[in-house]
Formats: sequence, structure tokens, C-alpha cells
Amino acid sequence: MILRIVNFVVIGALVLAAAYVYRIKFDSTVQAERLAKLRSEVRRERDRIAALRAQWGELDNPARVEALAKRYLKLKPVVPTQFDALDRLPDRPPQFIKPDSKDPIGVMIENIDEPGSTTGSIAAPAENANDAPAPMPAADPDR
Amino acid sequence: MTVLAQTLSLAPAPPWRRQLVRSLLYGDIDRAAKARARVGLAILAFAAVYAIIAARLVMFALVADSRIAHHGGAGDAIATARPDILDRNGEVLATDVRVPSLYGEPRRIIDVDEAVELLTADLPDLDAGELRERLSSRRGFVWLKRDLTPEQQREIYHQGLPGVGFLNENKRTYPNGAEISHVIGHVNIDNQGIAGMEKWLDGHGLAALHMAGLATDRLQNPVELAVDLRVQHALRDELVAARAKFKAIAAAGIVLNVRSGEVVAMVSEPDYDPNNPHEALDPTRINRLTTGVFEMGSTFKAFTIAMALDSGKVTLKSSFDARMPLRFGKFDIHDFHAQNRVLTVPEIFTYSSNIGAARAALAVGVDAHKSFLKKLGQLDRLRTELPESAEPIVPRRWGELNTITIAFGHGLSVAPLQAMMGVAALMNGGILIPPTFLRRSEAEGQALGKRVIKPETSEMMRYLMRLNVEKGTAEKAEVPGYYIGGKTGTADKVINGHYSKTKVLTDFMAVLPADQPRYVLLIMLDDPQVIAETHGFNTSGWNAVPVGGAVVARIAPLLGIEPRLNLPTADALILASIKESR
Repeated sequence: MILRIVNFVVIGALVLAAAYVYRIKFDSTVQAERLAKLRSEVRRERDRIAALRAQWGELDNPARVEALAKRYLKLKPVVPTQFDALDRLPDRPPQFIKPDSKDPIGVMIENIDEPGSTTGSIAAPAENANDAPAPMPAADPDR
Repeated sequence: MTVLAQTLSLAPAPPWRRQLVRSLLYGDIDRAAKARARVGLAILAFAAVYAIIAARLVMFALVADSRIAHHGGAGDAIATARPDILDRNGEVLATDVRVPSLYGEPRRIIDVDEAVELLTADLPDLDAGELRERLSSRRGFVWLKRDLTPEQQREIYHQGLPGVGFLNENKRTYPNGAEISHVIGHVNIDNQGIAGMEKWLDGHGLAALHMAGLATDRLQNPVELAVDLRVQHALRDELVAARAKFKAIAAAGIVLNVRSGEVVAMVSEPDYDPNNPHEALDPTRINRLTTGVFEMGSTFKAFTIAMALDSGKVTLKSSFDARMPLRFGKFDIHDFHAQNRVLTVPEIFTYSSNIGAARAALAVGVDAHKSFLKKLGQLDRLRTELPESAEPIVPRRWGELNTITIAFGHGLSVAPLQAMMGVAALMNGGILIPPTFLRRSEAEGQALGKRVIKPETSEMMRYLMRLNVEKGTAEKAEVPGYYIGGKTGTADKVINGHYSKTKVLTDFMAVLPADQPRYVLLIMLDDPQVIAETHGFNTSGWNAVPVGGAVVARIAPLLGIEPRLNLPTADALILASIKESR
């Protein structure tokens, strides 16, 4: 009697196990297919990116950009006189208004009257005569 | 037998006969034991069958997975992927693009005539006779057309011909065309590198990957070159213009980082489009900078003067007699810009005096001259990543006359890149760094380098180079703000074994900036002609030098060199600092 119950239980377990294994197998097949599909999609995307990068490289080629710039823009190559050093930049004008103040105009009026404040940019006092900012010569290609 | 025995035993028969049959059939063995053994055998047999079935099931389960995974790769051709090549700013110089190619399987084609007709309708450049021949063959696989456009592929696909199909192949494309042809090289139709850096890639493991069939998918790690596409373009643009202006056979240029040894730009015009590799077969389009050797002319005086100063036998204040041509045997050495007086070392440099340079070399001696040039790598073949290289032409027996002529750059032919390596060593404080086309940091470059001259000598050389631009043969190279230093060279070309009086090779070697050197630049023109603007001259000062100035003005902002206006002269800036340090 007990043996028979055990038999039925085992048969039941077998059927359940079979069903479970089938489900796992089915799922794994689905996953594997998805994986393969994603892989091929990634590969296709990569190829497309490569093609676009190649195309961008062609469009971004300096020779092409230069030809277009010469045709459509009035820009000219930079000359050394157009550069200047950062330390020769005039000081930033003092900030009159705090960004979060409620009465910007009132604050401004108060600050302007403060002695010692500067308005606009003035040249820093030259420590060394050689370092004094020399007037920039005009960019003249014939010079 | 058993069945028979059982049927027999079931039959009603007298016991004695049964006994007889049994004893005949089985002998005198215990029947119960026999039955157990039989059952055991049957169990074993069934267990084996089930085990085999289970094993097969497992195998099927595994194989099915790998088949699905493999399915995604169908239609991809054999292993030909190559890594991308980028410039130092990450711009694409070479990349793989997938293109479909058409193939046929002649055995599966039903009607050859129909196939030929339909295919030639879509691909007019296909030869009908050849196509018919290929499709009628008994082979399993034939290529019909490589590199189709997507439209052509769609058209052919929609015809639904049996026995033709598409394979995606990697095709190498070079978006920048001819701009960097000689550095990057090119590949053949099977995507194998056959020149330049492409060949170097194959030599470094890629070929083995291809053989093993592993390089199917896109390779992940791109190769970064030292070249800067923008600088390369600016250099090439100026050289193309210069070549047209002076009607030269060829124009070439190099920009070399003096601290790391990186070749930032290298142009040898005429060049070719790597997308069209057959152009490279034209011998006029060779890379003159690494595969050609030239007598560099007066630029070699930089080596001579550096050697003289470094030996300690000569100082900047020494002077040499240039009053008369130097007579050696039956040869007379003349000066082009003859001063006919005693010249100091800086004057020898700025007037480019052959006599002075020759006398300075003789003062040091023949053996010292030879060993100095050897130390600077001018007598041995220079090997870089590029597979193409040329051996310098060194005189077999090096006597006093050779030293005299080599002192001003005749009688020794070197590859221009090699000469630039030497000049970079003269400028950067005296460290010879092998040039590279791959990215390299300054620290790596310094670690690879070896000291060839004293730092003070290098400083004196920079002073001379700058002086030569301020008041010498290279005045036309001056661009205010960049403090260029440079040395000109004009070498008579050898035509039929004799030095030509009219055909010259001009070059200009510049250092940028002369007080804190970062780059050296070479401009070289092969056989520039006299034009109205040059007042009857075809020497370097009239053609290579102004081109050098124009190139510097364009590339210096790209190289991040800050213009400094109102710098003092070389006497005040460089010479004074040499004296202070003593």
C-alpha cells in the first residue's frame, strides 16, 4: 500500500519534473534566440556607426571644410597679432549686484558711492617697463 | 530458443518426456537463479538504451543552442576585419565599412542565360561573356562582383535568382583621401596591409589573427597615430601650392616633435589616394622622406658646426679664413655668398660659407667627423614603423675630401627624415630620439633617447639658427611672434653622374620656437624653377624658406604654440642666457 503511494508520488514528480524541464528548455531557447538577435543587431549598429563615422570623416576633412569656408565665409587665417596672453587680460569689473539681492538698483547705487571702487577696466600698474602692454600693431599682411 | 522451450513445456506431455526435453535443453541448473540472471541482463540492456537516449538528448540540447548562436553570423565573409586608425585627435583616418559582394553557386543555377541577362541588366559594367563562363563552370563558388552599392543589392535581391547570393565583406576606406597617403599606406582587395602603417599593423599580430580566422568581427581597439590631421592638411596644402608655383618635380615636408620624436605631419607630394591603390605604383609618387636619399646641401652645415662647437676646439668666437676658395687636389671649394674675408662661426652659418664649414670640419678631423655623424644616426639605415626605408649612401673610403664636401652637405645622401632626427637632437638639448609614427609621450621619448651633444652646444646651435632667420639666408621665413630659427640648404642635383649647374634640390630646416624648441620642420623642393618673383634665383632662400614661413604661420596655432611678440633678438635672448649659465 505504502509502496503504491510512493509509486504515484514518484510518477507525479516525474510529470512535474518533465514539465519543468520543458519550460526551462523552452525559455532558454527563447533567450538564446533573443541573444543571437541582439548580437546581430549590435553588429549591424556597429557597422552602421562605422559607415557614418567614415562619412563624417569625409565631410569633416580639412580640405573640404577649407574649400567651403573660402567659398562661403569671410574668415581669414589667424595671424599672430590676433593672439594675446591671458595675464594681460584686464581685471574683471567689480560686481555691483549680488545675483540674489532683492533690490538690485538700490544695491548698485549704494556700491557706486563706495570710495575706491572702479568702474570699467583700467590697466594694471606696470611693474616692469618691458612688460607694459604695447599697442598691438595692426595686422598688415604686407608688412 | 527460450520461446520454443516454453511452448514445448506448455504442451501437455507425459512427465518423463518433459523431464527429458528439459534436461536436453537446460541441463541440470537451478531455474530460479537463471531467471534472476535473465532479468538482470534485460535491466542492463534497457538501462544502456535509456542512457544513450539521455546522452543524445543532452547533446541535441547543446548543439541546438550553438546553431542558433551561429545563425546571426551568416552572410559574413571570411576574417578580414582591421582596427580603425585614428589621428592624435581621434579623427578617423582609416576604417572598415561593410559592403555586400555578389557570389554565384554555378551548380545551383537553373538557367544560365536568364541569370546572365538579369545580372548584366543591373550591373552594366559586368562583362556578359565572362559572367556566362563563370556561371557555366562546375565550381561550387565563384565571385561575381565585389563591392556593390545598396541599390544594386536590392535590385538583384528582388529578381529572386536561384544560385546567387550576397556576402558582406569588410572594405577599407580612407575618408581623407590623399591627405595622409604615405603615412597610412593602403591595403589590397583582401584587406591585407601592403604599405605604410597598414602593413605595420599586419606585421604586429593582425596577420596571425586573419590566418586563424579570428578577426571576423569589428576589432575593438583602434590604433592612434602621432599625426595631426589638421597640421598634415595645412602642410600639404602649402606644399601643393609651392610645387605648382615653383614648378618643382616634388615637394616634401615633415613636422617632428623634438621632445617625443613623434612625426606630427609628413607629406611627400606627389602622393596618391589610398582608396585608389594602383596610383601608388607610379614611381614618381614614392615617399621621398623615408624611401629616398638625398644630399641635403647646406643644412648639413648645422651638423658640422655643432660638431665643431661640441668638440671644444671651436667656439662661437673662432674664425676661419674664407678669403680664397679652398683648394684640395684638383678641386676648388667656392662660396655661393662669397665674402672673401675671415669669417667667425656665426658668420659661416649665416652666410652659409662652404669654405668655412669645410675648414671647421677639418679642424676637428676626419675620424671625429665620421664618428659624430655615426652617433647622430646619419650613416645607418633609419627604421621606423613604416616598412619602407632607405639606406644612406656613405662614401666607401672616407678621406679628407669627403669630410670637406660632407661638411657642406655633398657626398653623403641620407633620408630626409633621418636628417630631421639629427637636427631635432641638435635643437632639443642634445638628445637623439628615434622618430615614431605612433603616439608617444614626451617622457617615453626622453627615455628612448640618448645624449649625443652637450646641452650648451644645443643652445649655441639654436642661437645660430635664430640668427640665420634674423640676418642670414633664411630671412624670408620670419613670422613675427613665433621666433623661428632655421637653416637653408641648396644641393646641386646629380644628373648622369655629374653635379648639375642648374638643377638643384632646396631644403629648409626650421626650429619652432628657437628659444624653447618644440617642433622642427623640414621643407624640401626637388628642382624648383626660377620664376619672376625670385629674381633669377632658385636657391633655398627664395623658395623653400618662404614656404617654410607660410607653413609655420598656419601650423603654429594648431600646434598650440603661443605667439610672443616683441621678443628680443637672438643675441639678447639666447646668447645672453648661454653666458649667464657659465
